[in-house]
Amino acid sequence: MSGKSRRDFLKTSAVIGAGVAGLSTSTVKAAPKNILSEDRMGVLVDSTVCVGCRNCEWACKEAHDLPAGDLQSYEERSVFKDKRRPGTKALTVVNEYSSGKNSNLPVDVKVQCMHCDHPACVSACIVGAFSKEENGSVIWDTDKCIGCRYCMAACPFQVPAFEYDKAINPLIMKCDFCFNRTKEGKLPACVNICPVEALTYGPRTELVKIARERIKRNPEKFVDHIFGEHEVGGTAWMYLSGKDFVELDFPQLGTNPAPGVSESIQHGIFAYFVPPVSLYALLGGIMWITKHRKELDEEEKS
Amino acid sequence: MKKGLLIFFLFAISITVTAQQNLGKDHSKSNITCKTCHVCDVPTKDDPCLVPCPREKMKTVYESPDKTVDVVSLEELSKKYLPVIFSHRVHAQMSVMSGGCGTCHHYNTSGPIQSCKNCHQTYRNRDDISKPDLEAAYHRQCITCHREWSHGTNCNSCHSPKMDKKGFQKEEAKKKVMGKVHPALIEPDKIVFETKYEKGKMVTFFHDDHTKKFKIECTSCHKNETCLKCHDVNKASIEKSKIVKAQKSLDEHHKKCFSCHKEDKCGSCHLNKSAEPFEHGKKTGWALNKFHVNLSCAKCHGSKMPYTKLDNKCSSCHKAWNNETFKHSITGLGLDETHSQLNCEDCHAENNYTVKPVCSNCHENYSFPKQKPGKLVGRK
Repeated sequence: MSGKSRRDFLKTSAVIGAGVAGLSTSTVKAAPKNILSEDRMGVLVDSTVCVGCRNCEWACKEAHDLPAGDLQSYEERSVFKDKRRPGTKALTVVNEYSSGKNSNLPVDVKVQCMHCDHPACVSACIVGAFSKEENGSVIWDTDKCIGCRYCMAACPFQVPAFEYDKAINPLIMKCDFCFNRTKEGKLPACVNICPVEALTYGPRTELVKIARERIKRNPEKFVDHIFGEHEVGGTAWMYLSGKDFVELDFPQLGTNPAPGVSESIQHGIFAYFVPPVSLYALLGGIMWITKHRKELDEEEKS
Repeated sequence: MKKGLLIFFLFAISITVTAQQNLGKDHSKSNITCKTCHVCDVPTKDDPCLVPCPREKMKTVYESPDKTVDVVSLEELSKKYLPVIFSHRVHAQMSVMSGGCGTCHHYNTSGPIQSCKNCHQTYRNRDDISKPDLEAAYHRQCITCHREWSHGTNCNSCHSPKMDKKGFQKEEAKKKVMGKVHPALIEPDKIVFETKYEKGKMVTFFHDDHTKKFKIECTSCHKNETCLKCHDVNKASIEKSKIVKAQKSLDEHHKKCFSCHKEDKCGSCHLNKSAEPFEHGKKTGWALNKFHVNLSCAKCHGSKMPYTKLDNKCSSCHKAWNNETFKHSITGLGLDETHSQLNCEDCHAENNYTVKPVCSNCHENYSFPKQKPGKLVGRK
């Protein structure tokens, strides 16, 4: 079963579950309990600048202790034949698209976790392992994670991956915005290595201004849209493109925060103390029955 | 006296301050007159017509590519790699047909060329993130073009790792690249365009004629070419004459031709077969001699398009020619003392220089050079 259909399955079951509970799934305003700092950081990806060298893929693996191999091997361009997705072996990947226009230069797009401002994964995580940090990163605590994979189902970008191939202690994997590097004042590994600075790391508010300025200065080069500025309530990673984002496999998402959907389902199921009330009612019922039987038995004996 | 000196000094200081003023982007609004720097009334970006005086020595983006710096060693960031020896002149020469010096030297003023590091900082983790750092600035200029024809992003095509070559001699490496010029361009003879025009699908463009016969500058058509126009690792060679399917829009295709062929009818270019090249003799009935053939069309026909028919009298162009100023030996016949005394029309009847005069017109009918023509018998 492919990842997508699995997700679809999970989503459908959740909706059915909510339906069974007989409760509405209307959009509830997301209420993240996590921090949304004014000076949270972000990254502006300018896909018109990216040359598809895939150095970021290598640097990411190095920074996250994943088998990375030789940097030179990343010059191999046959990988672009298929569209790849970030997974457990590579937390970021670069895909290549034809530019379409008269230009012979392809368009390269880096894919990784978008680090939403209102992350669905944070909201969906039933053990509170996920959190939106002050610096904009969406990270998770491996020790708390129980491997329920709700984050995978909730993510509008289908980013979190699960180590299905590991029998013992499989983990959820995704880009962590190099949380360990940034807290030491270093740049995220991918931003640091990018030879053309297609990735710009900085305060999100400033990046939006820079992006707008670039579009204004070069209106023929760019599509007048910053992907991630408003999508699902805004994301820390934002993209500029010279080509329609849909053609570059960006999902078409509204501006409502994604947790609105997942939270409404979850809150629906768990609203009005239905599960605990029914559980206690059931337990109480069993208790009452067993007690009643005991009493009957004792009456018979006596 | 003292007061006078003081005023003079103040004046001198104010001049220096004005001269050093950073004029910036909107310098047209500054309070110096345009004529301080520009000669013409309407300076444009392409032709700013700046005053010549100290600028002669100044390197600006308007410098001829052939006169630019030959080799530049890029070494500001060489931690991992050896300095990159960049063949600046060859690249400048290539830029002539693809956007000019400004392609790399962007945001340059009309003043001296700015080096990249004047604006781009040398480290990435910085406060001003509005423009890329130096490493990215270099790479953007190089890789964007290089990957177009190399179809890759191979680091080693420009960089050699430091550990590879110990005892690297920068000057030696520079010398290897020095003096390199771009090889002569391979031009196609003709290009046949297959168009969608029903009445005449084939348009033959005689490239050779346009460049060699008509002396049209390459840059008047090729202004914003990509490197791929000539360079490609997968391209074996550029064919001498080829058939190309016209893919650009109608406007794009006709624009270049129409700048000269204004009043031509569709049928003069759109034929159903590949066309014959232009020959002045065939088309106009007046073949160009070895001197005329080297002239640009505009030299005789003027710059106004389309060209009009000229009369074939020499004197309509060569107005200043007479028996003293015209070097007759150029025609293959040097005039001796006796002949040089004559007026032109004495031999060339009715000023018709297209007909070669024969000796017998004036002399006894002996044929030269077997026998010298005899005495003068009469003139027609």
